[in-house]
Amino acid sequence: MSQYYSTNEAFALTPALTLALFGCWILVFDFLFANSKQKRYFALVVVAGLIFAGVGLYRQQAFLATSGDSSIIAFSGALTIDRFALYFNWVFELATLIVALVSYNYLEIEGEHHGEYYALLLFAQCGMFFLAAGTDLVTLFIGLELMALCFYVMVGFLRGDKRSNEAAIKYLLLGAFSSGFLVYGFSIMYGLAGSTRLTDVAAAIAARPAWDPLVFLAMTTTAVGLLFKISAAPFHMWAPDAYEGAPTTITAYLSVASKAASFAFLLRIFLGPLAPARDAWEPLLAAVAILTMTIGNLAAISQTNIKRLLAYSSISHAGYMLLGLIAGNDTGIQGIAVYVMVYAFMNLGAFLVVIALRRKNIIGDDVDDMAGLMYRSPGYAVLMLIFLLSLAGIPPTAGFLGKYYIFLSLIETHHYLLAVIATLYVAVAIYYYFRIVKTMFVGELTEKAPLATSFGLRVALGITGVLTLAVGVYPEPVLRLAQNSFLR
Amino acid sequence: MMDALFFYLFATLVLGGAILTVTRRNAVHSAISLIVSLIGVAGLYLLQQAEFLFAVQIVLYVGGIMVLFLFVIMLVNLDQAAKQRRFNRQWWIALLCVTAVGVEIAYFVRKGASAFSMARPPVAAVANAGGNTEQIADVLFRQYLLPFEIASVLLLVAVVGSVVMAKKRI
Amino acid sequence: MNFLDQIWLIPLFPLFGAVVMLLFGSKLDPQPASDVAVAPGVELTHDGHEAAHHHHGHTHEHAHEHVTGHDHHGGGLKTVVSLLCPGMVLLSLIWSAGAVLQLANVPERSHEVIQFTWLAGLPFHMAGGRLATFSADWGFLLDPLSSVMILVVTGIGFLIHVYSTGYMAHDNGYYRFFGYLNLFVFFMLMLVLANNYALMFVGWEGVGLCSYLLIGFYFHKKSAGDAGKKAFVVNRVGDAGFILGMLLMFSVLGTVKFVDVRQILGSGNFRAETAGFGVLSTMALLLFIGATGKSAQIPLYVWLPDAMEGPTPVSALIHAATMVTAGVYMVARSAALYQLTPHTSTIVASVGAFTAILAATIALVQNDIKRVLAYSTVSQLGYMFLALGVGAYWVAIFHLFTHAFFKALLFLGSGSVIHAVSGEQDMRRMGGLKDKIPITHWTMFVAALAIAGIPGFAGFFSKDEILWQAYSSQQGSNALYVVGLLTAGLTAFYMWRLMHMTFYGRSRVAPEIEAHIHESPASMTVPLTLLAIGSVLAGWIGTPRLWGMSGWFRGFEQWLEPSFASAAVEAVKEGAHDASTEGILMGVSIALALIGIGIARYCYHIRPEIPGAIEARCGPIHRTLSNKWYVDEIYDFLFVNGFAKGGGTLLGAFDRNVIDGGVNGAGWFTRFSSSFSIWWDTWIVDGTVRLTSLLVKVSSYPVRIVQTGRVQAYALFVVVGALAFFGYYLAR
Repeated sequence: MSQYYSTNEAFALTPALTLALFGCWILVFDFLFANSKQKRYFALVVVAGLIFAGVGLYRQQAFLATSGDSSIIAFSGALTIDRFALYFNWVFELATLIVALVSYNYLEIEGEHHGEYYALLLFAQCGMFFLAAGTDLVTLFIGLELMALCFYVMVGFLRGDKRSNEAAIKYLLLGAFSSGFLVYGFSIMYGLAGSTRLTDVAAAIAARPAWDPLVFLAMTTTAVGLLFKISAAPFHMWAPDAYEGAPTTITAYLSVASKAASFAFLLRIFLGPLAPARDAWEPLLAAVAILTMTIGNLAAISQTNIKRLLAYSSISHAGYMLLGLIAGNDTGIQGIAVYVMVYAFMNLGAFLVVIALRRKNIIGDDVDDMAGLMYRSPGYAVLMLIFLLSLAGIPPTAGFLGKYYIFLSLIETHHYLLAVIATLYVAVAIYYYFRIVKTMFVGELTEKAPLATSFGLRVALGITGVLTLAVGVYPEPVLRLAQNSFLR
Repeated sequence: MMDALFFYLFATLVLGGAILTVTRRNAVHSAISLIVSLIGVAGLYLLQQAEFLFAVQIVLYVGGIMVLFLFVIMLVNLDQAAKQRRFNRQWWIALLCVTAVGVEIAYFVRKGASAFSMARPPVAAVANAGGNTEQIADVLFRQYLLPFEIASVLLLVAVVGSVVMAKKRI
Repeated sequence: MNFLDQIWLIPLFPLFGAVVMLLFGSKLDPQPASDVAVAPGVELTHDGHEAAHHHHGHTHEHAHEHVTGHDHHGGGLKTVVSLLCPGMVLLSLIWSAGAVLQLANVPERSHEVIQFTWLAGLPFHMAGGRLATFSADWGFLLDPLSSVMILVVTGIGFLIHVYSTGYMAHDNGYYRFFGYLNLFVFFMLMLVLANNYALMFVGWEGVGLCSYLLIGFYFHKKSAGDAGKKAFVVNRVGDAGFILGMLLMFSVLGTVKFVDVRQILGSGNFRAETAGFGVLSTMALLLFIGATGKSAQIPLYVWLPDAMEGPTPVSALIHAATMVTAGVYMVARSAALYQLTPHTSTIVASVGAFTAILAATIALVQNDIKRVLAYSTVSQLGYMFLALGVGAYWVAIFHLFTHAFFKALLFLGSGSVIHAVSGEQDMRRMGGLKDKIPITHWTMFVAALAIAGIPGFAGFFSKDEILWQAYSSQQGSNALYVVGLLTAGLTAFYMWRLMHMTFYGRSRVAPEIEAHIHESPASMTVPLTLLAIGSVLAGWIGTPRLWGMSGWFRGFEQWLEPSFASAAVEAVKEGAHDASTEGILMGVSIALALIGIGIARYCYHIRPEIPGAIEARCGPIHRTLSNKWYVDEIYDFLFVNGFAKGGGTLLGAFDRNVIDGGVNGAGWFTRFSSSFSIWWDTWIVDGTVRLTSLLVKVSSYPVRIVQTGRVQAYALFVVVGALAFFGYYLAR
């Protein structure tokens, strides 16, 4: 562990620094691009920022590969760049890239095209970087708040829209509320360890019995805060409202990047300091996972708004991912990692199609707006079909992989009941995904004109679509990345 | 003995102020109650021999931020809002929850109280480090440099965010 | 060329076709993409067409032109579709045939091509404590079992593609249809060529998806959309069983690769679970649940009859010849497992037998020509499972093989009939079509003889073998045999009832449609003819042992032997049943088939061409009923009004007392059993499905009620959640 500040720190911090700098650049030079048409160049700036940050990540990855070290530890242990952190950062990169590509056209239609939006995207990803790489309670907490704050603003970005305002206020209030729980748990961990470094906390907790009351208190309150962020039941209730009200691009970003970052955080805590208390939290999380799958899948059935439907579907996905943590063996953790990645592009893809439906005067977030899409724009319908199949976990799409490894890990660790419940809920999930498919392929055509979409959206759809299929058929690279992410 | 007495005094200020902040319907009263609560926190810092934090707490929160709050409250006409009926009455549920959570947490903490290693103020360590302010600087810029820096980005986002949300035309 | 190493190419040909169609199809087919499909299978006065008409003014004329059968718009680029898609399947067929021929020279009759590791796994401790690493390859296995399947899929598939170029020529979704169809062939080939359960599952789900898309092809028909969805949802219930079975298999056996599974199960480490219902039995049962979904067995068969909403070639290919047999294939693939699990095998056999007879009784009273065939398919699949359950795996595959020919032929023939009578599917409005569409008639005639089990035709060999095995094998029993035998009789009856109502007697076709009746184009009749030839010859490679033939005539069993080698095939209760028993049983089943045909003839034959004793007896009835013409009135007469009331003084004493009494009794039984089946179908099966979906819907309401939209309530739930966590500690 290095005790000095040197190039080591700078090297470790490069991606976050780059993101923050590009964010600031956008804020400063916002005045240069006066009208809405010119502001679309900001999307390019975001892409540039992502590329630079990506180079930083790549160099870190290369360093780890060549030096043989398992991690780069900086700021005396407050920041750890390991493969786990890098893996999740790649997911964030992908999500931000896709969202930036589709945002400019969407914001123009909504009439809220401002540079701040792009800056907030970058700042949010900056916060996520610390969520994945932070190994200090304070770093993690501030990273979480940085990300959350960006999301509060972005969710309410459609200022003229009451739904958007309401969503932002609800998310803000409940987010702050849950952060209270989280930070209370952290304070107890600090009390136990006398340090905020995760390694110290882990040592302190390992020294105590699994059912120690204080450890349990710290665990539960932390869990409440974290489960809120990944929208697990019964802490999920903000999600449908926030998802529905937010600009669709942000709904996509929120459902993917925020969830991935929160999962990174969750894994860091539960596989790190809280690992010794597994006996205590395993049944709790199992109950949460079952409840989450139940609520997510059942509530989705009766939704008529696609964004809301996908919100509940995203809740249920959080439940499946939690199962991997409950199984807790290598396959399970790999399963979560794969699931997070795969979920990122398939869910983004599904939202992209919803975004494509948005035009002047047409909100396009009702299931019926999809009617007869196959005969209007077959390409979009086929892509949506692929994304929905993937969300439903049907091979050979990528979504199958995530579920496969999760279920496999459950069987491997003899959680047969959980496996049966989860598998049955997958069958239920088909029901609502196929309501959309049915509307697209069998629904009565209400509108004949094909969809008019922006270049960025088509590129983004191409990326997500190809990934969803390619990873499903040839998952080797993703699997290897996911395995390396946690195997030392 | 005196320490304990002051602790309970300041703790009462913190809690009482906080309760009044959320229960008062007049915004000015709420803000003033919040000042009381913040002063109580400052007192707790003092008890922990964190004089620097005590000063910062008074100057920044009580002196700076709360005065701004009061200005805003007085500039914006909140009388109408104060007169309106609150549209939901679930204070008793809230009370129940607070009691339940409070009891539970008290139970846990009491059962495991012996585990806390940080119950005493680190007098000797502070003296060794050359004083309270120096030690804070040392910890802040060495151990917590990273969170400190991220906090600056956080504040920037907070400023930008509030402008975006509040301003009619950006 | 070394076809054996190129078997991975076989599925890729149709995939290529599908991709081209779905991506560029709208450019090849000059139809406006948003146009509404009008199919030959849709009656013009239906609401569907009015909806179409409402949207597109020109559709009406187009459809009318189609009725006369002289419309050949599209032209040029459309030919590309017609050549490309069947061509791709033909290439697959050539590669398959090549590979199978070369396989015959491989001593161990098994060839694996592994392309890459698909699902790489991590080491973990198995139930037994052994450390295992699981991985599934993207690999293909060609052995006798899969070789039969690929030949069926590509062979029958090719003929049906060719047929479709004629049948679907006037549809606006032409390219879309062929895109889906090619995609289906791709997935089906993946299913049968996969070398492990995981990859098989890719095909398994894929064919379900294509089936869904094709059932809902006439998307303006609401019933089509509902049927498609029903099919998919019901199948998913089965799939849950498949996934769990597969995962359990992995955790117990450490692999899901077919070859390894067979080897591990055959190694002697696992003993047959004769005493109780152990882990292997659970595994087998879970897999079988998967099979019941895909192969339409009780209790998951309800989707198949509804699936007939799709275009007829789809019914022929997917819902008769290939996809629905996937479950049979899967169970046969797992023969080594079922060998060790007698209890599950008994369940398989019983479910199969019960499905067979239930579906057959329902088929007795259906008037929609395609529905009769649909229930018939369910029934025949039941036969296959019966064979699987009694351990006669090769016989099940044999029946699958012959069934593919004659059932595809029956469906395609019915499509040709529907085509001829302008979309009418109700047999009560057909009749007397024999001379107007002779090729269709004669080919269907062959198929009907085949399915009825008349010696010399394909169905006879396989069905008789199943009955013999049900009787004689160790797993078999007299009850299974009797059920199978009764089903055989019923099959002969309803199939010939279909023939009579459609082709013979006086025409009941509406006059304005009658003028348009015409034989289908060559693109349709040639596949029919080829399938008819197949329906005769396909059975001769599996002649009964009793006949004492050898070589090619018993080739099927010998060919499949390596696939089921570890399974102690045909553990015949030797000594208990000798050759004479087999001969007697064969005689009984032939006699029953003839009786079935005879009764059908007796009840439905209207204008007796061939004089004979039975026809002579038919005479009085015929005269009696001639003023109440329609066949459904025969039903009314026989089943509803009762014989005495309708017959009265017009009948001779002999007729009244002997023949008619017999008919009456048989009719009563038929009516009872079929109305019971319908009752069962409507209330128990459909009811369960509806109740489940209702329950699911109802249970989603509480979740919504809690979602009040009030932020305080949300916060309350966070607190309640936290309290529950704390409470867990105290309650522990």
